[in-house]
Amino acid sequence: MTDKNEIVIALLGQPNSGKSTLFNALTGLRQHVGNWPGKTVEKKEGSFVYNDRKYLAADLPGTYSLSANSDEEIITRDYIASGKADVVCILADSSQLERSLYMLSDFAGIDVPCFLVLNMDDVAREQGKEIRVSDIEDRLGIPVVLFSATDRKGYDKFYAALEKAVENKPLLNSDALEAKYGQIPEYVSIRSIIGDISDNSKSSMWLAAKAVEGDAPVVSRIRTLLSDDKAAEFDEAVKNIDKGIVKTGECKFAWIDELISGSVNKSKKTVELGKFDRLITHRIWGKAVVVITILLGLLASFIPALPFMGLGSAVGMLPDPLNEMMINAGCPAFIAAIVCDVLIRCLGFVIQMLGFVFGVTFVFGLLEEIGVMARISYVFDNTMAKFGLQGKSVMPFLISFGCTMGGAAGTRVIDNWGQKVLTIALSWAIPCGAAWAVVPMLSTLFFGAWTPVIIAVILIVMILHMWLTAKIFGGSLVKPENRCGMIMELPPYHKPKWGALMRYVFGRTKDTFIRSLKVVLIVAFVFWLLSYTSSGDASNTVLFKVGQAIEPVTMIFGMKWQTFTAFVASSLGKEGALGVLSTIFSGTGTLSVGMMAGGEQAANLNELLLANITKPEALAFIFAITFNMPCIVALAATYQETHSVKWTSIIGLYYTFTALVLSGIAYHIGLLIW
Amino acid sequence: MPMQDLIRLLKDGKSRSVGMIAAELGMSVEQVQRDIEFLEQNGIIRRIEFSMCGDCSGCSGSSSGEDRKTCPGCTPEGGFKNMGVMWEIV
Repeated sequence: MTDKNEIVIALLGQPNSGKSTLFNALTGLRQHVGNWPGKTVEKKEGSFVYNDRKYLAADLPGTYSLSANSDEEIITRDYIASGKADVVCILADSSQLERSLYMLSDFAGIDVPCFLVLNMDDVAREQGKEIRVSDIEDRLGIPVVLFSATDRKGYDKFYAALEKAVENKPLLNSDALEAKYGQIPEYVSIRSIIGDISDNSKSSMWLAAKAVEGDAPVVSRIRTLLSDDKAAEFDEAVKNIDKGIVKTGECKFAWIDELISGSVNKSKKTVELGKFDRLITHRIWGKAVVVITILLGLLASFIPALPFMGLGSAVGMLPDPLNEMMINAGCPAFIAAIVCDVLIRCLGFVIQMLGFVFGVTFVFGLLEEIGVMARISYVFDNTMAKFGLQGKSVMPFLISFGCTMGGAAGTRVIDNWGQKVLTIALSWAIPCGAAWAVVPMLSTLFFGAWTPVIIAVILIVMILHMWLTAKIFGGSLVKPENRCGMIMELPPYHKPKWGALMRYVFGRTKDTFIRSLKVVLIVAFVFWLLSYTSSGDASNTVLFKVGQAIEPVTMIFGMKWQTFTAFVASSLGKEGALGVLSTIFSGTGTLSVGMMAGGEQAANLNELLLANITKPEALAFIFAITFNMPCIVALAATYQETHSVKWTSIIGLYYTFTALVLSGIAYHIGLLIW
Repeated sequence: MPMQDLIRLLKDGKSRSVGMIAAELGMSVEQVQRDIEFLEQNGIIRRIEFSMCGDCSGCSGSSSGEDRKTCPGCTPEGGFKNMGVMWEIV
């Protein structure tokens, strides 16, 4: 009771129990907000009048429980136990009583008049739950209201329970809970040490249970209430308790289950896994279904790429006529060559690539939006275990499909250093966004309709690569006992938010366009300078001579010196390879003219590439750049995350080496086919 | 003792979905979810938060420095939201 003769009612409930809705409905605009003494926790109070009685409602902070985990919880429980509130209104969500009654069970043992509000009964009814209030009332010994705080017509029931609680001052019957606590040996010994002490309205049962939970403020408070030798005995008993919170928690939940058993009728609704979920969680077919899903996704992502391919090759046609025009208009040959050979050809290449970026981002963004991606990571969790990795390594891997740097940064969730390094090492084997643009584009150019097969083989090689890499490095990086289990909750399927998805897709496409154009232009310009001669005869350039000198070696890996140079450039970023191809194989000072059959000038770069690179060489080249180091920045990111020069260089060299080996294998297989 | 069983179950290093745990321990999905919430609230397990793109300098979103946790070049706005939830023992 306040000095203004108001009856104080404290609203206690977990977040989302509808506490604020109730508070607002009761007090309307008669609210004021302050702070709890000495704390920055908000204190909301409001007044209302019912049946000529004045009430003051205190909206306590919404917390999960009354433990000492936060300031809010300590304020809440001390306020309740202080007796400043005449009656405590405890809220719970009717639609999930087994969870939301936890607040009630944590309150049990604080001897303050109270009543229970089972809010959101409309939701519970929709779920087919039928709650028998009178049963629960009998078991608890306090008024219980079943209503919905959003329904203004139902408030009579609430006010009736409130008045009953104010008149009769009912206390919550916690005998059944105490009986459960009695099965915890630690509780029994503490309870016998502290005897019947109490602190304000906190009963000895409540205090003993909190002491078992290792609640620091309660433990030190009890110590002050005990005689010296009892306090020492108490300290000894508290010290030896392990995971006390779990033990009392189990009692509280068992008490809740008993409380609602028989008083809640649920129309049985067995949750069945959806068709797709049953498929992917299948022990044998699961992985196959997932791989096929990814593959179909990739295939579908090529569809939007086709118009870009067309546009890109149209731009790629421009240089020759443009070059002629510029020279006729009196432009110096050097400038005309830069514009045509470097700028426009690169632009054409990048545009051709963009379609794949757009498509891949769209399809995989969509799979994520509707909840399929989560299931993919779920299926591969046990594969992670075989690699010696945590289930959470799946996320960095998935991010690596977009950007290896993001993947490396994503490994920050992995605390174990060895597992972190191994995760980064394996994530390098995953072709990044740039690779998913360059590789399908080149595959389409060289292998046309066979592209899906190439992509499928790349995916298979990727998995084998990761497996082998894990075998090679796993032993020295991870111990099996470092792995600990995880709980994964799959998201429900839902409709995609098209707006957000499209913004993501366009954002990423734009981003890639800018980044790729930069890389391609820089690389192209450097190589163009290296190969430019005013005479048009490139065979005297240093690049050409060095290239021819190393070609016997590079041919072991199935690469002519031109493609090998492009491979080296791809270490800067996969797009770099395009920069090299566009200059070396084209242009007015072209290196390729002499090599071309009949010496006929081809109209566009695509045809030039086809004429100069055989299919086995193209296959070798595709594998070489796919599995080469993702980019120079990824190397830096790897160092940043591992802080190890040794492992960063090992990973870098290992990937350069394996890319060459894979390229050699691809070339020789290619020679057998074509 | 269902929650202690749940903790013991996670010690073997495998990952399980909520449904699998419910089946293995003979509990309802709601009960498992309730236990997970309890263990998380009391700091015995923790929810895994993925920071997506740390400070990758290659993307326009993060180099402009606005929101380093997610960048439009790598992830949709606000990060991947439909990847489900994962918890691990602290």
